[in-house]
Amino acid sequence: MVLPAYAVVALVGLGALGIAALAVAVLRVEVRPLEAPRAWSSYRFGFATFALVFLAFDMEMIFMYPWAVVFADLGMKAFLDMLVFIGLLSAGIAYAWRMGGLKWE
Amino acid sequence: MILSALGAMGIAIGGGLLVGLLERPLLRRGAEPGPAGRAVLRQRVQPTRPDPWLHAAGPVLALIGVSLAAVVIPFSAELIPEDLGIAVFFFIVVVDFVVVGIALGGWGADTPDGVEACYRVIAQLVAYVVPLGLALLGPIMMARSLSTVDIVEAQSRAGLWYVVAQPLGFALYVVTALMQTYRAPFLEPFAARISGGVLSQHGGGSGLVWRLSLSALLFVVAAMGAVLFFGGYAGPWLPGPAWMLLKTLGVLAGMVLLGSRLRPRSTAEMLALSWKVLIPVGLANVLLVGGLILLGVGQEPFPPPGSGGGGG
Repeated sequence: MVLPAYAVVALVGLGALGIAALAVAVLRVEVRPLEAPRAWSSYRFGFATFALVFLAFDMEMIFMYPWAVVFADLGMKAFLDMLVFIGLLSAGIAYAWRMGGLKWE
Repeated sequence: MILSALGAMGIAIGGGLLVGLLERPLLRRGAEPGPAGRAVLRQRVQPTRPDPWLHAAGPVLALIGVSLAAVVIPFSAELIPEDLGIAVFFFIVVVDFVVVGIALGGWGADTPDGVEACYRVIAQLVAYVVPLGLALLGPIMMARSLSTVDIVEAQSRAGLWYVVAQPLGFALYVVTALMQTYRAPFLEPFAARISGGVLSQHGGGSGLVWRLSLSALLFVVAAMGAVLFFGGYAGPWLPGPAWMLLKTLGVLAGMVLLGSRLRPRSTAEMLALSWKVLIPVGLANVLLVGGLILLGVGQEPFPPPGSGGGGG
């Protein structure tokens, strides 16, 4: 069951690749040079702390998906478990906020 | 199998064309078009010293991402390219390929505007993914499934659209969906000040692929909103596909009309909004929905546990 389902996914990926390649190949147009200075070394990014906190929260959010599917069947026990988990997450946000992590630098 | 794949491509391309026609008339007069802006189609834009592979890969990856997302959009219980067991999770993963595409296309161009667009789009990802994921949890908890068909069926069995049971979750979805589709007021990666971001760094065929994938992105995200909160293809009188299309266009029009009338936000403002408001609200919403389910909201009459779709 799983293999045919994901074969469709793979086919769609290849199809999109094909259409994109076709669009580039068919639309033969003149080239316009874009005059601009090189830029790779002249930028710094201002959200390093956000990005680190994000990594942790993204993983924790993923853990909530299997819990969400079985939540209604498990009832109160699952609710209390999640209450603890969300309490810990909120403490994490509060800590990052308090330490000045939620700022664009 | 090939028919399903063609169906998904059809949804992405048809949706993209439809949005391409409808979006600009919906914008407030004089509003910045952002990703709906004009792409250079008559010329192939060639930056001075791009990274040729990354620069070319950008729009292609974006189109692959939105086409894959179209795989799990249901137009009726049978009319869905593929009812993957983990559909909602699959959706949020593949839609983010668009971010990778914009980041590669901008970085690969090695121009100030392109690199700026790359940084802005990654900051936007950091802002929207977690609150979006939290907003999606509510419908999954009520429907006990990640499959889009199961979520629609659960809403029609319970006789309740989840927008009624979870208005807070829907509000969260609308805000994060605007961030995810780069529509006003969150259009920093496509702002006019950096001359449209990646739209000005590509042209010809690549420009066409950008226009198509950015329009299709709005379509699939609005379609997912219609599935999760407005009962998807379920409805009286009209056939399923008609309801699905109507609800999708309704969500889409609401998003664009609302968004283009708000003041544009900078990337820094958006990050602060996300982490200081949206994520705490999202966590509270998960607990709120959990409490409602314990009280029996959206649960009756439900088949016995074990007959539902469940994770893949």
